[in-house]
Amino acid sequence: MDRRRFIKAGSMLAAGAVLTKSTLARAQDEAGGPEPLGDRDAAEGVPSRAPRITNEQPHVLTPNGATLPLRTVGNVRVGHLIASSFEHEFAPGLKAQCWGYNHRTPGPTLEAVEGERLRIYVTNRLSEPTTVHWHGVILPNGMDGVAGLTQRAIPPGETFMYEFTARYPGTFMYHPHFDEMTQIALGMTGMIVVHPRRARGPRVQRDFVLMTHEWRLDVGARRPDPLEMTDFNVLTFNSRTFPGTEPLLMGRGERVRIRFGNLSPMSHHPIHLHGMSFATTATDGGYIPRSAQVPNTTVLVPVGSTRVIEFVPEQSGDWAMHCHMTHHVMTQMGHGIPNMIGTQTSDLDTRMRRIEPRYMTMAQDGMGSMGEMKMPIPKNSLPMRGGPGPFGNIDMGGMFTILKVRDSPMKGTGLWYSHPQGTVAGPADASQMRADGIETT
Amino acid sequence: MAAALGGMVMNAACVSSSIRSDTDRVRELSRMEHLADVPESEVDPVSSPEVGAMLSKPLTAKSAVKLALLNNRELRAKLRMMGVSRGRLKQAGLLPNPEAEIELLPEQDSDIELRLEYDITGALLAPMRSRAFEPALDAARYETAIAVVELGYMVRVQFYRVQAQEARLAIAQQMLDAYAAGREAAIALRKAGNVRELDLAQHEVAYEKARILVAELELGRMNAREALHRLLGLYGPETAWSVQGYLDPVPAGTVSVPEHIETQALKHSLELTQRRHELESLARRAGVKDTAGWLPDVAVDVHALKSDAESTPVRESWRFGAGVRFSVPIFDRSQGEVLELESKFSAQLERYYGLAVDVRSMARQARAELESAHARAAQYLRVIVPAQRRVTDQVMLQYNAMQVGVFDVLRASRERLQVELDSVDAQLAYWKAHAALRALLAGVAVAQPSEEVATSVSFSDERVEEH
Repeated sequence: MDRRRFIKAGSMLAAGAVLTKSTLARAQDEAGGPEPLGDRDAAEGVPSRAPRITNEQPHVLTPNGATLPLRTVGNVRVGHLIASSFEHEFAPGLKAQCWGYNHRTPGPTLEAVEGERLRIYVTNRLSEPTTVHWHGVILPNGMDGVAGLTQRAIPPGETFMYEFTARYPGTFMYHPHFDEMTQIALGMTGMIVVHPRRARGPRVQRDFVLMTHEWRLDVGARRPDPLEMTDFNVLTFNSRTFPGTEPLLMGRGERVRIRFGNLSPMSHHPIHLHGMSFATTATDGGYIPRSAQVPNTTVLVPVGSTRVIEFVPEQSGDWAMHCHMTHHVMTQMGHGIPNMIGTQTSDLDTRMRRIEPRYMTMAQDGMGSMGEMKMPIPKNSLPMRGGPGPFGNIDMGGMFTILKVRDSPMKGTGLWYSHPQGTVAGPADASQMRADGIETT
Repeated sequence: MAAALGGMVMNAACVSSSIRSDTDRVRELSRMEHLADVPESEVDPVSSPEVGAMLSKPLTAKSAVKLALLNNRELRAKLRMMGVSRGRLKQAGLLPNPEAEIELLPEQDSDIELRLEYDITGALLAPMRSRAFEPALDAARYETAIAVVELGYMVRVQFYRVQAQEARLAIAQQMLDAYAAGREAAIALRKAGNVRELDLAQHEVAYEKARILVAELELGRMNAREALHRLLGLYGPETAWSVQGYLDPVPAGTVSVPEHIETQALKHSLELTQRRHELESLARRAGVKDTAGWLPDVAVDVHALKSDAESTPVRESWRFGAGVRFSVPIFDRSQGEVLELESKFSAQLERYYGLAVDVRSMARQARAELESAHARAAQYLRVIVPAQRRVTDQVMLQYNAMQVGVFDVLRASRERLQVELDSVDAQLAYWKAHAALRALLAGVAVAQPSEEVATSVSFSDERVEEH
């Protein structure tokens, strides 16, 4: 990409690129400084080489998130989770008062190696008791974190200690098991990655974790509603909604692992990857034997489960990855409105202007351009707003992100993919259509 | 008949100057400088020439009152009825006529006897009777002044009702527009196949019902104007007047009510003063009756007798004599009539004190009504209506964000209009209370009508099952 093109493209994705850098920088600051992530491209702020937790295995990267810092004390790895309320940004223009760990949602990813002894202090700075349940981790019963059943709940202001050995490798989650309906709905989730002592299967170069979640945040409100049971309107990867989601950077030909978790209150998420075929290699119950792995392009991540997929991108580009439930890629979509598609409203508009001059009929022809309309909307909202793309507005929001596959992930990875000549769909040439026998009348 | 009318006119002409002075006094008592002088010699069915000029401009509360003072027939009748009291007063002060008697006596020794008798007691009592009726004339003037103030109050209230009806109708027509838009939205959706026939039918019903309510309001406006026509004495082309604007907003800040409102009301009460004059008149009439009862009924007479010249030795044929006739007030001293008048006096005195209690109570009520109505109207104007507009603004933002649909926008508009309708009711209540306090301080404690539920309007949204 030459300088001229760089500037042009850069202006189009100002939000995305700047967001990426700022998010990463803040992630480090707020988490108290996770272990070094390795070299970064100074200009783009993306890792040039994935840092490694073992010789064979890279650290997991939590887009828009962080890894919990662990200190080694004797033969124990010690960490500290602080449950509290804080302001969280789902995307530029949409913030809410959420609950989480260490001032983030999802909480920092707990990353360990098989067999490590973990001692996690949990301080409760919420207004009500809480616990932490280590979802999927095999551990002593008294460390399972179920209030009333396996422990007394942690009162506000107190700190409890959990200690267990990460006996089995895998992808797990953590969340409260006291008033979980409220606390999970407000953002108290986190991922746990236990690497095998020795890598299993083909070596991966990139290892990502994405926690899927769903929220009810009324347009213009500033706190998610934990009482919602059916109509969720903010769908997130790592508690970010597009265009606030940080793209996943990977090299063409690299082996990439994505670990999905789902602590949504009510919905499963069929996550679809464009341009990739993958295998599901593990769940929170363990590894799936290679013989049982089937190729797929969509993985269903049920509520309360994790799914791990691995793939090797063959084609460079900016590839979409999203939940395939169509309402899950619409941020703050309203569902209580009349279906205006196909209506002729000239008479209505004339009369409505007398009643309410600010009125304009919308969505008679479809809803794809709603994100580009510049009408005033409530503060702190992103209704049906997508984000900027290299060819115009991307009209999806919600649980949507981009896999940036590059030949060389060190260069230009924060910019849009530069398509080789003749590889982008465009207006058909009439003469060619005629030559191909396509009638255009 | 013509002769009788001629006589009446002559009578009217005789007392016309007194009517003018009575009217001046009423003008002074009621503090209504625009009170018309009733034409002295005729009753003209045509409105005063000033009326046409006044109606050529949009009517205000002030000009409506002025019109009524000129043109209200009942008030004009009351002005003329003061002549009745004045007539009674005049009659009471007249001296009794002497009585003459002529008698022909051919069978006696005289041919003719002339007798002239005069009621001395009646003549002596005439000034007392006149004085007894003077307070009655004052009472009549006060009664007329009360009628003037009451008419001013009624005209103001009716004028405010007209303004309120105009405002209600204008708002209701916007409301109807909103229902029509709902129906048109439902038609467009139905044509596109997006809603059920049921949904469209519900919107059509809602629209048609709204039309009925608007028609009722149109009738209400006409009724309000007709009631004002009767007060203003207007008919024919005179009824084509326009009204200046809607109700004024209630004054900012706290409402101003004079201190010691009870004392003020008592001090200015025309009704109490009128009653005092009536009591005075009754007392004087009782006094006259009592005095007359003790006085012997004395009449003196002179008589002349013309004798037959041939049958009498007296040279002069006329002989003169005098006499006196009197009753001795031993048994009938008019005790019964005095008792009757004294009882009337006592009863009236009881009512006078009762009226004072009522005036005090109505003064407190007038203050409470005004303060409450002001607070309610101000709450609507300065809090509820702006808050409802803010709701509409927020609904529009939510509409732009596609969180709500066209029917929600319309519902918000209707809710805003309904609040504006309610605000009109509150403002009307304030101006009515304001007129009542004004009348109270002008001397008349008026009974305020209860809330006009029949003229307030409520468009219910329950009929629309929105989707």
